[in-house]
This record gives sequence, C-alpha cells and structure tokens, in this order.
Amino acid sequence: MGDTTERATQVQHGDHIDTIESVDLVFRAQRKLSFTYGAVFFAVTLAIPAMSVWWKSWYAVPIWGGFTANYLFVSLLYYVFLWTMAWMYSKQADKLDDRLSTMADEITARTVGEEA
Amino acid sequence: MNTIAIILVIALTIFTIGLSVFSRRFTRTTADFYLAGRKVGSFANASAISGDYLSAASFLGVAGAVYASGLDGVWYAAGFAGGFMVVVLFIASALRRFGEYTVADFAFGRFGSNRIRLLTVVAVLITSLFYMAPQMFGAGTTWQVLVGQGIFGLDAYTSGVVVVAAIIAFYVSVGGMKGTTMNQIFQFWWLAFAMILVVVFAFGSGFSYPKALADESAQPIVNTKAYTVAELTAPDANGVTPYDKAAKIMTAEELAKVDEFIATDADGKIPVAFSAGNKLHELRDMLFREPGHRYNTFDQFSMVLALVLGTAGLPHILNRYYTNPSGKAARRSTFWVLVFIGTFYILAPIAGLAGLGIIRDFLAGGGTINAATVHGLLVKPDQIMPTLGEILGGQWLMGIVTAGAFAAMFSTVGGLLIAAASALGHDVYEKYINKEATEAKRVAFGKASVLVFAGVALLIGLAIPKFGLDQAYPALIAMMVTWAFSVGASAFVPMLLTGIWWKGTTERGATAGIAVGLSSAIAIIFLNILQQLGHVGKEGILGFFGALTFPVLFTFPLAVLTIIIVSKIDGQLPKNVDAIWMRIHGTASERHEKQHGLDKVGSMFGGKK
Repeated sequence: MGDTTERATQVQHGDHIDTIESVDLVFRAQRKLSFTYGAVFFAVTLAIPAMSVWWKSWYAVPIWGGFTANYLFVSLLYYVFLWTMAWMYSKQADKLDDRLSTMADEITARTVGEEA
Repeated sequence: MNTIAIILVIALTIFTIGLSVFSRRFTRTTADFYLAGRKVGSFANASAISGDYLSAASFLGVAGAVYASGLDGVWYAAGFAGGFMVVVLFIASALRRFGEYTVADFAFGRFGSNRIRLLTVVAVLITSLFYMAPQMFGAGTTWQVLVGQGIFGLDAYTSGVVVVAAIIAFYVSVGGMKGTTMNQIFQFWWLAFAMILVVVFAFGSGFSYPKALADESAQPIVNTKAYTVAELTAPDANGVTPYDKAAKIMTAEELAKVDEFIATDADGKIPVAFSAGNKLHELRDMLFREPGHRYNTFDQFSMVLALVLGTAGLPHILNRYYTNPSGKAARRSTFWVLVFIGTFYILAPIAGLAGLGIIRDFLAGGGTINAATVHGLLVKPDQIMPTLGEILGGQWLMGIVTAGAFAAMFSTVGGLLIAAASALGHDVYEKYINKEATEAKRVAFGKASVLVFAGVALLIGLAIPKFGLDQAYPALIAMMVTWAFSVGASAFVPMLLTGIWWKGTTERGATAGIAVGLSSAIAIIFLNILQQLGHVGKEGILGFFGALTFPVLFTFPLAVLTIIIVSKIDGQLPKNVDAIWMRIHGTASERHEKQHGLDKVGSMFGGKK
C-alpha cells in the first residue's frame, strides 16, 4: 500500500495510525472475546465424547424413535449450537471492531499529540 | 453402461473446463493466480470455501462412514463442521489482517527466518498429499460404480484416478485461483443439490429417520471385509477364524459360496460379513445408534480434537482466507460456511442410514447393482452415495450424484493443487530460486507446480490398493482425510495459535513445535497403518502408539508444549516484535480501507473496484 508507513511502535495507513498501546487494547479485548467463546465451544464439544463414555442415559437410552440424546445432539442439535455461536461471535466481534476502531483513533491521536 | 449418468458427468467436466478457460483472461499476476486478486466477497467466498472443504470425504465418506459405523461415523460430520469454529474464533481475521499469500508467508513474517518458512512449506506439501490421497481413491471407486470398466486398457479404478487427475491438473493450471474459485462455487452448489435430492428421494420412498434408526439399532452392526483363503481360515488369539465369525450370521446360501472359495483354494479375496464388536463399551452389543464401532475411549476424544483442530491446519482452507477483502469479511464468510456445510452434514448421515435399509430391500427384491455386495451390504461403504442414487432415481439421479462426487473431488484437489503450487512457486521459487522473476515466469512456475503435484497425486491414488489400504480400513476415504487433519492440527495449528495469541513465541520455539508436531503425527499414522496391515504387533511401545487411530490428543499438546518450553528457554523475540504484533492485531489498515470504501468487494473479473 503506497500510503503506508511503519515505525517501531506505530503503523500508519492514510489518516489512521496504530500504536502499540492501541493494538494492545484491541488484542486484549479480542483475546477475551475469542477465548470466552472458545472455552464454551470446547467444553460442549468435549463433553459429548465424555458423556458417550461415562453416561449411559446419554448414549444408550432412546428418547425419540431410535434417537438417543447422544445421536440427536451429534446429528442435529450440534449444528444449531455452532450456528448460534458463530452468529453471536461474529456480531460481537464486529461491534468490538467498531468500538475499538474509535478508541484506537482516540488513543493514537492522544499518543501522537503527546509525542509532538 | 450408465449412459445418461456418464453424459451428466461429462457435461459437468466440460462446464468446469469452460469456467477455467473463461477466467484465464483475468489471471495475469501472481495475486490473481494464487488469491483471485483478494476480491472475493463473503457469500461467494463461503460457497468457494465450502466447495473446497466438502471433498470426497464429505460427499462419499461421511455417508459411507455412517453406513458402516453408525454414530461413530456421524461424528465425522459434526467434527468437520465444528472445525470452522476454531477458524472463526482464533485464526480467520488475524490471518487476513496479516495479509500475505500463504501459511509459510505468515510463519516467515511472524518469526522472520527462512528456516521456518521452508519447514512450513514442507509441512504444507505433506498435509496436501495426505489430503489428496483420499480424493484420488474416491475417483477410482466412483468410476468403478459409474462406468464399471476401464479405458485405454486400464482397469476401472486406475481409469478413474488417471482421468480425474488429468482434468484437475488442466483446469487448475489454466484458471488459477480465479478459475478454481468459480469452479468451487459452482461445484459446492451442485453437490449440495445432489445431496438434497438423494435425501428427498429417500424420504419419498418411505424412509422415516427415527424409525429407521430404531430398526437398524435392533441388532448389532454387521461389518464386511474381503479375505484370502489363508486369512479366512487363520485363527486369532482365541482360536476363532474370520470364517467362524461369518458363519454365525451369513445365510446358508451365502456361506456356500465361501465354502466353495475355500474348497477350490481360489486366488484373490472373497467378501464375508460378521457382527462388529464394541470398542468403547466392550460388554454391550455394537448398535448403530451407540458409540464404539470404531473408537475406544482415547480415540473418542482424539478423533473429536483431530477434526475440530485439523480444519484450522488445512493449508488450502487457510489460503482461502487471504482472498477475503477484510478481517470482518473473513468472519462473515466463516459464518456462512458453517450454515452451508452444517446443512450438508445434517443430510449426509441421513443418506448413510437410509442406504442400509434401501439397499438391503433392493437386493432382497432381486435387484442388481454395480457395486460388490455381501449379506445385503456394500463391501465398500464409500460407494453408498452413487449406489443409493441409482436405486432411488435411476440413471438420472445416479448421474447427478456421481457428478456431485466428481465435483467434490475437483473442487478439493483444485484447492490443494493451488496450495501446493503456491508453497512451491510463491514460497520457494519467488523467494529463493529466482527473486527477479517476471510475473509471467512466476505464473508459469505456479502452473508447472500444479502439473507436478497432480502427477504425485495420481501416483498416490494408484498406490493405495497396491498396499492393501482399501481392505485395511472400513470407509477408507473418511479415515484418510482424518489423517490429513491430524497432520495439519499437529504441525500448523500450534504455531498459528501461539503465533497469533502469544507474543512470547520465538522462532526457535515455533520451528521446534512444527517439527515435533509434524514428525510425531506422521510417525503414529504410519505405525497405525503398519499395525492394520499386520506388520507391527500390538505389544510394547510401538504397539501402543500403533493403536492410536488419531494421534492428535497426543501430538497437539506435545507440539504446543514444545513451542512454550523452547520459547521460554530461548527468549529471543524478533527485534521488530511490536511491528509484527501491530500487523496481526492492528486495525489501521482496515479503518483506512473502510474510510475510503476499499473494503467493499469489487469484481473478481476486473470490473468495478
């Protein structure tokens, strides 16, 4: 990109500047969001095989025709869970991006102002 | 000869080649050839990623795995879909913001050494080859069902492998990423259409999901396997032979053929059927709706981890994220991917379950099919989709389904060839061999790389039956794809996750992590193959590791720990680590693009920008 300059602690694209302070702010907020959703995702995903090993009512007892709770969740409900997670995460991440963009501009304006 | 079905497949192939020729005029630069000019919108990219991702393993393998293994097979579908959550949560937007061409570029840009770039190239090539193998096997087995005979003096299986490899090599080298993207979009919607049709026809024939699940779970799952005379009559540790097991469930008429095969000491193999055991709950019968047909306790967890982590380690999928115009678009693409493939994966297990009753009833009624059967079951479960199409809708549906199978192979191998070509062409040729190469030379090298890898894929496809792998595993296609996932999850994902989310990751740590993850995953997979083929025993340390069907539960944490420990000991961060960090997590570029409307998707074909 022709109008991009890079220094050790800040990167500029046109009128917009990233400083290490603004990026750290963005990083921490994104990490919190991603890892919170990640924890829920892995907890649910790994709970399924765990229950398949240790909870007989989950894997062996039919609840609807031939469906056990295990079969119903893995073949149908798991996808609803994934769609809901992905939709909520994307919306929250987009909002976070917008909020952080404004904050990043404010932080960089302040930092650059102090440097000047 | 299935004339109508063959005509439909030929029409699909001609359309595919036509799209590539059409997009050829728009492929002039390396960014065009490898990344479609970074101008692919969310919906189009989601369709293309879905086409790229839904391979023969998904179209043929998932239904085949469910048909053969019940619930353990359904897990393939759920795991394949779940993998995209890891991508959207931890990888997608950071990778796009970094804004390079390949995974190796990321490794180089993040850690700043040629050593890690070259090691990543090696890992990309190995993972791609692992993924190409099942696609080529799928090509051969689908040809067996569709055409039933070979061409130019080749057998049916070899003909399928050769023809598919030749077509894909041609259309990828001609169309590059733009042609491949257009094809993947079309091919995804075609195979989704085919899957929907099969399921609709199944329900139309009287299939009831809950009732069929209850019916098929009323007695233990039955396996099929082909044996030589010597294998049939060889007792196991308990003194029981495969013949003894088969005699318990096969009818007198079916068994008479086996007896004759043994009595005449015939060459070759004969398929037999026998009840499956439960590997998870050993005292329970192995019912269709319960876990345990394939996986013991360790593998239940390891398989889930292999699938959900492996998607984030597939180079041809990661490359597609660089074609998004922004990090936000990358997330949006992933959401749509989950909707598309989730719907597909809900349907595939239905087809697998429906196939059990439909094929059994069809054969019992005197019907005949191209695929080999025993005891009312397909000997190769991976042939379930075209067989079901043939029974439910005659040649038309079989043609649509078979064209869908070829579309799945075309789109995935196309993406793999682009990934392999970019690893060789962009990461090696442009960076080390000829830094001053003109755009024309770079694109030419990329095309030559495509042809070389298509040749390698061809050889692997031909080698699979030679080594007896098709007999060693039930539903081999899904199994082999999971190996590719395991290699990717062990080699790349630890490096990507730590590289993106832990600033303290050093070059030595990441390099060691890739090396350890890659080598340990490959070693365990080959030990497992050798054990299945009877070359490695089940005792001792080798026997233990050979018994691990999926190594990820062991190799992923090993690679992550290696990165953390080596990085802590090493402690030498890149001098420009802050600049790198800003490149991964900074948003100035996106804010700038948004301000000037540059984040809007233009046209892949050079129109509005």
